[in-house]
Amino acid sequence: MKLHDEDAVLTADRRRVERDVVVEADPDKVWEALTDEDRLEEWLAPDVELDPVEGGELSVRDDDGERHGTVETVEEGERLAFTWKRPEQGPSLVEFTIEAVPAGTRVVVVETSLVPGETFAPTASANWGAALPRLRRSLLLVFA
Amino acid sequence: MRAPAHRHVDPVFAALGDPTRRRVVEALSRGGTATASGLAAQLPISRQAVAKHLAALRGAELVSSKRVGRETHYRLRPQPLTEAAHWIQMVGAEWDDRLEALRRTLEKGRR
Repeated sequence: MKLHDEDAVLTADRRRVERDVVVEADPDKVWEALTDEDRLEEWLAPDVELDPVEGGELSVRDDDGERHGTVETVEEGERLAFTWKRPEQGPSLVEFTIEAVPAGTRVVVVETSLVPGETFAPTASANWGAALPRLRRSLLLVFA
Repeated sequence: MRAPAHRHVDPVFAALGDPTRRRVVEALSRGGTATASGLAAQLPISRQAVAKHLAALRGAELVSSKRVGRETHYRLRPQPLTEAAHWIQMVGAEWDDRLEALRRTLEKGRR
């Protein structure tokens, strides 16, 4: 599934959030926690139905309501991706990637908004540090 | 190489993506209104490059433009950034919570 427009000069990227965590557990245990409904209910949401195959359905319920979606990618032990959306909101793509690291397993999650016309995403930019403090002061002036 | 962790980046800046585009927005935020030429004079990029970024920013409704004589004047519209920043902040916080719960459930019973 294409997430980023090719002509990036004239269009901005999708809204995108990335987070990660390293857990002290083996990748196969982590994979199980990502794909087994009972395990998913321990951390993703109180109520989860998931058919962990490409095209499978996802149903999630939490305090804020329900989300429904479809499994996009299953690469056993490595990647799981699904779309989900609340009835009143636009869809997102959620992608999990797991990899073994010395301390256990790193889990990376990326949620990308799929709403057409929405913009802005952090790109893999090397030099965040230098530009940020100066820009922060300027934009704080704008938003104040 | 993975992109750097965005956990501690202020979501307003996370919303801006391209570093050159951020500089254009920064320059706009300093001055009220500006022309492409005026912005290019403040930045180490060509007027053409500035114009491309302004077109993208206008497409994203981050800037508004107005013809004044033969020139086009641009002004920053912060609202879409604020909305994007809000989304990034909220969704980021949700995932922080879930990943922490994932960690707890996987590390239960260890040590």
